[in-house]
Amino acid sequence: FTPLMLTAMFILLLPIIMSNTQLYKNSLYPHYVKTTISYAFIISMIPTMMFISSGQEAVISNWHWLSIQTLKLSLSFKMDYFSTIFIPVALFVTWSIMEFSMWYMHSDPYINRFFKYLLMFLITMMILVTANNLFQLFIGWEGVGIMSFLLIGWWYGRADANTAALQAILYNRIGDVGFIMAMAWFLTNSNAWDFQQIFITQHENLNIPLLGLLLAATGKSAQFGLHPWLPSAMEGPTPVSALLHSSTMVVAGVFLLIRFYPLMEQNKTMQTLTLCLGAITTLFTAICALTQNDIKKIVAFSTSSQLGLMIVTIGINQPYLAFLHICTHAFFKAMLFMCSGSIIHSLNDEQDIRKMGGLYKPMPFTTTSLIIGSLALTGMPFLTGFYSKDLIIETANTSYTNAWALLITLIATSLTAAYSTRIMFFVLLGQPRFNTLNLINENNTHLINSIKRLLIGSIFAGYLISYNIPPTTIPQMTMPYYLKLTALAVTIAGFILALELNLAAKNLKFMYPSSLFKFSNLLGYFPIVMHRLPSKMSLTMSQKSASMLLDMIWLENVLPKSISLFQMKMSTTVSNQKGLVKLYFLSFMITLALSLILLNSHE
Amino acid sequence: MSMVYINIFLAFIMSLMGLLMYRSHLMSSLLCLEGMMLSLFIMMAVAILNNHLTLASMTPIILLVFAACEAALGLSLLVMVSNTYGTDYVQNLNLLQC
Repeated sequence: FTPLMLTAMFILLLPIIMSNTQLYKNSLYPHYVKTTISYAFIISMIPTMMFISSGQEAVISNWHWLSIQTLKLSLSFKMDYFSTIFIPVALFVTWSIMEFSMWYMHSDPYINRFFKYLLMFLITMMILVTANNLFQLFIGWEGVGIMSFLLIGWWYGRADANTAALQAILYNRIGDVGFIMAMAWFLTNSNAWDFQQIFITQHENLNIPLLGLLLAATGKSAQFGLHPWLPSAMEGPTPVSALLHSSTMVVAGVFLLIRFYPLMEQNKTMQTLTLCLGAITTLFTAICALTQNDIKKIVAFSTSSQLGLMIVTIGINQPYLAFLHICTHAFFKAMLFMCSGSIIHSLNDEQDIRKMGGLYKPMPFTTTSLIIGSLALTGMPFLTGFYSKDLIIETANTSYTNAWALLITLIATSLTAAYSTRIMFFVLLGQPRFNTLNLINENNTHLINSIKRLLIGSIFAGYLISYNIPPTTIPQMTMPYYLKLTALAVTIAGFILALELNLAAKNLKFMYPSSLFKFSNLLGYFPIVMHRLPSKMSLTMSQKSASMLLDMIWLENVLPKSISLFQMKMSTTVSNQKGLVKLYFLSFMITLALSLILLNSHE
Repeated sequence: MSMVYINIFLAFIMSLMGLLMYRSHLMSSLLCLEGMMLSLFIMMAVAILNNHLTLASMTPIILLVFAACEAALGLSLLVMVSNTYGTDYVQNLNLLQC
């Protein structure tokens, strides 16, 4: 069991180590990487099968690194329910994405470096998922942040890409502060960074570290407040968006919260906070997704909305359901990104959906996978999304929670259907709106195979995973029929509404955007306001207090300049003389002489 | 009165005339002011020493101190006028705002 897992992870390291040799310069390097990952996937399925059949978890602790007074840090891997199931899913999705990027980045001269970066990202993600102590998790956490920066700014000549990469790093850093706060609290209050020790000891008030962890999840998983980096991260190449920002990296924050579920079970405040945060995120990003015009940004907002849904699930105390949603969401979201990548490439790098249309006939395979992906996303019964999303909404409906958060989640679910319909309407249906000289070709084997694999995954993975995992928290079995059908009802309502609106407004004149439209299109004014206002205010405040207050006002102006100004103003106000000095002196003298002569008559 | 006092008193009157009657330069009135101060000082010192009025022996020195202050004030006013007009002609001293 354990050696197999370690072998699987070691195989991943090989291509990086060989990067200094002749193999790297070869043009077959991408094939090499892809086959490596496929072997790692197959090997990692074996421990997963063993885990499913026996329910046995394992912790591998092999190398004692250092001991700082009473804290022992070692290299330890935790193979429990979460990591054992996540690793094959992540490897499968990465395998498909590697094959896809062999087609997508075909003309890029630095394709070997691209694959190396993707592989390094995968390794750090594995470290994050299998970490048994907070230190190793932090290593993985920072690692995925760095690789995200490198990959978003892949086309570094483009100023927008550099800004987006920097934005991603800054927002992640703010979340890291929360992570470090949690680590420090655990270090001082429970003397350990190992999960086993933290979960066993009984703490009295866990608000501070859980708040830190929530902040870390907000930063990494783009919840409301630290969310603008995710739509901006679409500046990176499509395989990057597919891997990082749909399936693996952005679920790192949610994964962190899931890991700490024994601590969150007892703390009602934290659960309410997570619930409200997730609900706000879901609704807000779904509203923003309704009026975007870039196909990748719509899918990015869709990711953000689903992440909010996962956080809501944690907030109603169902970590296993959230994890299930992570695994199923990876399949169809990666496939949606790959479909949009195929569309973009064949329309000669056109990303605006207003300039696409009528791709139903020329690209049948992509059309099929796009439709199935959108249906799985919205939770169509018996596709993948149904097994996780419907269960989440049922559990939320029947649990004792905040009614407002629940309502918002339902509205966001219907909006999911609305913007998915919008994508399909603009991209696939109608008359073509793109340049007519594009060669639309989706015949490449790599592209077809990878999308085909994820397609089969999107349809069947939900069923396969749900029926093969060890039993966890029991889902609610009985509920009134209207509650059970709620998710389906709001989704169908969203579909029909969006379809009707699109068809009705198709041939009307384009009207001036209302203020609600502007709110939705500009991401709720959040990035515009928050990127400029706080920094400008703090810089102005510091400049005023440092230089103006002390030097200019007190030393210069209070005594010297005010006295001189005062005197000058007063003298010009008060004096009403003219300047005839000589006359004054002469009259003085004549008066003096006359008085001396005239009053000399005493003798 | 003895001849000395009348002499010095005449010198004082001359300086006073010079202070009150000058043509164009402000500097000349300041100089006559100094002259007045000088004659007063001499008169005071001679009177005190001749009549052995030891108690008032420090009055000349006090007179010198105050004369120095007033000379400084006068000179600063001269400098202010000269700053704005370039010369110290007394015809400049109308109240045009500087």
